[in-house]
Amino acid sequence: MAVRMLALVSDCYGMGGGIARYNQDLVEGLAEGGAQILVLPRNGAADGIALPAGIRQEPPVFGRLRYSLKSLWIGWRQGPFDVVFCGHVYMAPIAWAVARLIGARYWLQTHGTDVWESRPALRRRAIEAADLVTAVSRGTRHILLGWVELPPDRMRVIPDTVQDRFVPGPPPEALREKLALGPGPILLAVGRLSSSERYKGHEEVFGALPALRAKYPTLVYAVAGGGDDRAFLEQRARELAGDDGAVRFLGFVPEEDLLGLYHLADLYVMPSTQEGFGIVYLEAAACGLRVVGGVGGGSADAVPDERVGVLVDPSDRDALVAAIDGQLGRGRADPAAVEPYRRTHFAAAARRLLARLVDRGRRKRDAT
Amino acid sequence: MCGIAGIFAYLDVAPAVDRGELARMNVRMAPRGPDGSGDWFSADGRVGFTHRRLAIIDLSERGAQPMHSADGTLTITFNGEIYNYRALKAELEGKGYRFRSDSDTEVLLQLYADRGPAMVEALRGMFAFAIWDARARTLLLARDPLGIKPLYYADDGWTLRFASQAKALLAGGAVPRDPDPAGVAGFHLLGSVPEPFTVWRAIRAVPAGSTIVVDAAGPEAPRVYYDISQSLGRRAATAAGDAAAARRQLAAAVHDSVRHHLVADVPVAVFLSAGLDSGALLGTMAELGARDTLAVTLSFAEFKGDRHDEAPLAAEVAARYGARHVVRTVDRAEFERDLPAILDAMDLPTIDGVNTWFVAKAAHEAGVKVALSGLGADECFGGYPSFVDVPRSVHLLRPFRFIPGLGALARRGLSAAIAAGAKLHPKSAGVLQYGGDWAGAYLLRRGVFMPWELDGLLDPALAEEGLRRLAPLSHIAAAYQFGRPLGDFDRVAAMETALYMRNQLLRDADWAGMAHSIEIRVPFVDPFFLAALPPGNVLATIGAKEAVADVPRPPLPQASRNRSKTGFVTPVGRWLRDAGSTSGEVTFSNASRAWARRVWQAGWTGSAAA
Repeated sequence: MAVRMLALVSDCYGMGGGIARYNQDLVEGLAEGGAQILVLPRNGAADGIALPAGIRQEPPVFGRLRYSLKSLWIGWRQGPFDVVFCGHVYMAPIAWAVARLIGARYWLQTHGTDVWESRPALRRRAIEAADLVTAVSRGTRHILLGWVELPPDRMRVIPDTVQDRFVPGPPPEALREKLALGPGPILLAVGRLSSSERYKGHEEVFGALPALRAKYPTLVYAVAGGGDDRAFLEQRARELAGDDGAVRFLGFVPEEDLLGLYHLADLYVMPSTQEGFGIVYLEAAACGLRVVGGVGGGSADAVPDERVGVLVDPSDRDALVAAIDGQLGRGRADPAAVEPYRRTHFAAAARRLLARLVDRGRRKRDAT
Repeated sequence: MCGIAGIFAYLDVAPAVDRGELARMNVRMAPRGPDGSGDWFSADGRVGFTHRRLAIIDLSERGAQPMHSADGTLTITFNGEIYNYRALKAELEGKGYRFRSDSDTEVLLQLYADRGPAMVEALRGMFAFAIWDARARTLLLARDPLGIKPLYYADDGWTLRFASQAKALLAGGAVPRDPDPAGVAGFHLLGSVPEPFTVWRAIRAVPAGSTIVVDAAGPEAPRVYYDISQSLGRRAATAAGDAAAARRQLAAAVHDSVRHHLVADVPVAVFLSAGLDSGALLGTMAELGARDTLAVTLSFAEFKGDRHDEAPLAAEVAARYGARHVVRTVDRAEFERDLPAILDAMDLPTIDGVNTWFVAKAAHEAGVKVALSGLGADECFGGYPSFVDVPRSVHLLRPFRFIPGLGALARRGLSAAIAAGAKLHPKSAGVLQYGGDWAGAYLLRRGVFMPWELDGLLDPALAEEGLRRLAPLSHIAAAYQFGRPLGDFDRVAAMETALYMRNQLLRDADWAGMAHSIEIRVPFVDPFFLAALPPGNVLATIGAKEAVADVPRPPLPQASRNRSKTGFVTPVGRWLRDAGSTSGEVTFSNASRAWARRVWQAGWTGSAAA
């Protein structure tokens, strides 16, 4: 008998970004194991997307109240469901309510900053009520356990996964020309430039560039991605980098160029202190690019050892310069280090947790 | 009796086992096993076990650990003793299993091969062990029914680590030292840290009477195979004969348990006080044929020659049963000299354990490796004042619980009066609020500090979080709520066994004994023994705590019975009080409160904790 799961998520098919990608990987991994999954997203429509067997996605429902009512309605009318999966902690209270209403097990997924910041009592209760809580990293797990009481067996980790397309390849010289990056070395950062995400450490790297360019005069820092903070960061680059040519803002980079950019660059440098996981580090490493990440958050899970790179405290400029200089001298990353993060491992881990959850038996409707 | 530890990198992304980390864990447990040390790592580097050996059964190298099954698929690291291993071995041999050693460790391996994790239900003994099953790729962690042997684990979401001591996990270097508010609050409330909590958030105890299976998805929820309240409930349903029959049943149960606890390939000694329980153990040992048993008694220099000195009466009992008697005198100066070592050996904070430290030290000096202790007798025979006080409090004060807000109001008023100088014990403020409920009355009886006092002792946010996570009354109530409703005697017995005995007495016996490489065996802490006793209400009726004097033949002398009625005094309370740097009248309660502060201030969650 196939396991039936109702997935209440913020984003899944029809949306971009890390959480949407994670949710897609998760439901596909579970569906490959035979689970039947109905996805109810807050954002993004799956119109025109051929969904894998076993997965259906409802149209998105905007507005918290409407979403809550529809969750309850679907849970009640389209069941029975064995499991209610909640893809974002903001929706934990409604997922808890739906699971109680229909007597299903309740699985909550946490990512990173979603459990680091706001800690209202209702949310805490909704997390503690979960039969299974998964986090993308040990760092997120550790932080969450600092303010909720969950026994170890109910608080598991499923690390983010690297897409199979991220593999080593020759540097595309045409792209170097197109982007006018010069002979390098090229330091690369990829990600949204958001004023709410200044923890990513761009400014600290700008500040390290004068010292680095003293040794590597043609070194450039290529910052890929757009966002509301671009103007601010451009200004900071002018103030800190010491040379207008030292930082190149590439804006949004299309998927087809992103892989080439990883192959072209010499080092991935984003000393972020609050990554929930830091999937970009692994994508870079999977392409053979060594990584300088930041100490803090879940980055330690994406940069597990020296085969991938190092983590530094970005506020220590000398350490940052030394880390970048040291990594530039060590060649490419070892792709074997990334192998356990591939999708097959991820999907197997997710299926094991689902099987364990289902083995626990259904919740009693009056249980908390 | 040994020290065990291990690491299992269960998630694919986790790095292989760090051998240096495991070596550091092993070194931290060196006193637990002076007779040998061994390591084992799986071929793929994902699992590593380590072991410190105190050789008691099968002293040869064939008993060394970690031990593997003949086909190499099972590996065990084991701390403890299995008293019925010969019977289990015979049973397994009857099924065709072949053995290569005379050790109880190999019996565990074969029993697992035969029954899987359910094997624990057949074991009579004290144990904590881990078995790696290479075929199933699972790790089994198991702990004895009543929690005699400790076992802690730390799971970071990728890798699971386990060890006999929480401090060994910290010594490895990979486990964070963030405080666990529930454990910290629990220690201040009860004087010991209530399991499964420790004072470190990353470390938990494998609950007594539980197994945990760890596979590629991490640890499963602990599976409880033994619960004291359920066991007492079953016993209560058994038929009881008249008083004489009940006394015979009691004597038979003690004989059977002592006989099982004498299984060893080294001499077994006894910790002998002037009390009935340890005297009954020695007498029973003699009756069962043990000759020339070494009996170790603590004597305090402050009491030399006065009525509090236990040595003369213990000497009389030792002579009665033909034991060699060693009296070890301890004074305040030695306590002060040993205090740093005591705090270092103390695995989790506790307000007790000092007596055990010194008697184990004395035993070690006398060349002892194994000793029986009367620990646990008060829990099963109703020897504590709580067996009277708690039921009386509940029956008397229960009606006041139905007046909303009265208890809290009275507590606030009395607390204010105490703060203004009223000569009342701080706990007395909570009598109306807590005394009418079983868990509340137990907390009042056993508590060191009360919940409303924690704000003044700890960071208020930590205290609030600790109380929320621990939920002390629910935690206490869980000790007697599993299974059928219990009578008054059994209800208190369940709380004393699952809380005070498990979290304080047994844990203290482990760290204080192991610090001196002494295996402490506890015949009164044995599920088979408890089940063989008459029902709790019958034990209360026959006065089991005195009736135990008649268990051996010849029975204990009359002087021992008289002595048990006048009570026992040690100067340890005064030393603790002084070490806690407070002044005023010396009562055990005052001393406990001051000593609790002293112990906590030793720095548990700081960098020097391991």
